[in-house]
Amino acid sequence: MTHIVSESCIKCKYTDCVDVCPVDCFREGPNMLVIDPDECIDCAVCIPECPVNAIYAEEDVPADQLAFIKLNVELARAEGWKSITKRKPALPDADDWKDVKSKIGMLVR
Amino acid sequence: MTQPIATQALIIGAGPVGLFQAFELGLLGIQSHIVDALPYAGGQCIELYPDKPIYDIPGTPTTTGRQLVASLLEQLKPFNTPFHLNQHVETLARQADGRFLVQTSAQKTFLTKTIIIAAGVGAFQPKKLAVAGLDAFAGTQLFYHLDAEADFGGKQVTIVGSEDTAVDAAIELAKLSSNSVTLLHRRDVFKAEPDKLEAMRQLIAAGKLQLRIGQIAGFDEQNHQLTALQVTDVDGKTAPLQVDTLLVLQGLSPKLGPVADWGLALERKQLTVDTEKFQTNEAGIFAVGDINAYPGKKKLILCGFHEAALASFAAAALVFPDTPTLLQYTTTSTLLHQRLGVAQINKP
Repeated sequence: MTHIVSESCIKCKYTDCVDVCPVDCFREGPNMLVIDPDECIDCAVCIPECPVNAIYAEEDVPADQLAFIKLNVELARAEGWKSITKRKPALPDADDWKDVKSKIGMLVR
Repeated sequence: MTQPIATQALIIGAGPVGLFQAFELGLLGIQSHIVDALPYAGGQCIELYPDKPIYDIPGTPTTTGRQLVASLLEQLKPFNTPFHLNQHVETLARQADGRFLVQTSAQKTFLTKTIIIAAGVGAFQPKKLAVAGLDAFAGTQLFYHLDAEADFGGKQVTIVGSEDTAVDAAIELAKLSSNSVTLLHRRDVFKAEPDKLEAMRQLIAAGKLQLRIGQIAGFDEQNHQLTALQVTDVDGKTAPLQVDTLLVLQGLSPKLGPVADWGLALERKQLTVDTEKFQTNEAGIFAVGDINAYPGKKKLILCGFHEAALASFAAAALVFPDTPTLLQYTTTSTLLHQRLGVAQINKP
């Protein structure tokens, strides 16, 4: 099992989760974070940290977010997606995007 | 280095499972010591969710992290277990006599027959400021705890943070009239109990507490002394903020840390154990609670309690190799009553 970053993260990238991860398993892309499933230890500490509730345990991923299980695996290994271990400022217009649904089309790889 | 403390068991981690581990060992007549990185017992229960309700502790319909820890400490009282807080275990090595020599970050050493690792998701450490070079002032002008041995009197103190510990510290220090206290955060949003927030706003209105909103972009120093922070405000303007003492209270985050370096078998950074003894691949070293891995493992406090009970019996077999440890019940056993200090009460 692992934990999954879902659609809410896209265009926000608040990075609060990164600070609390005991095993540094977050990977950063241009406008989203994902979790490397090989590193995540399912401690669940990151779930309440996310201001947009983007993180789920794999078995709790809502039906409309199931695509992100595969996406986290794929993007964690994608070229250019680097390990992020310290919090940094969110994307400048994060607050404008945090409540927007259906952002999957805006994901930048 | 001081003389090692000799003990029968050393528990690493004072979270709920570590505390119950000490209790279970105590029932079996095994003396233990507990080490924890935090300055107080409770682990994740206190650090991550002190006031959130917990509904799945057997026989306890509702509790909170804080209440559960208080109950576990109360339950543990009869055994007078020594706590060694504010330090984490750095190294452990088996000695020629079969015992383990354990050393902590506070240079305390233990010689123990058994080790029970109940370290959860790792040792909680303060979240640091991501400002290059600033850490050089740690311990002299930069602190991560209010209770640190810092002299705040007559100083220009800046507190960095936005949650209850930062707000509490700001209120406490602002009340001391000899200080000039500034609370610095990147946004004008603070998370604390409403009465604390109200007290904070009143001190700001009264001019006793300065509020500065912005990001730390850098710092100034003179003769190896930190003199000011360079703070960039929301409009992108950078200006200095004079500072003698910097108190960074941005909360704590767990880091797995040295556990991974002790040569124990790991599976996805967790310690693999058997489900009979909850022993690692090293005889005498057990792992219980969130830090272990075995088929079917569920990270629940109640599972950790079960693991602690079985690990205690396995530890007893090593601590008392010549005496079999029998299962006894706290309802009926005179021996257990003596150990719990309830022998008198139960007599008619």
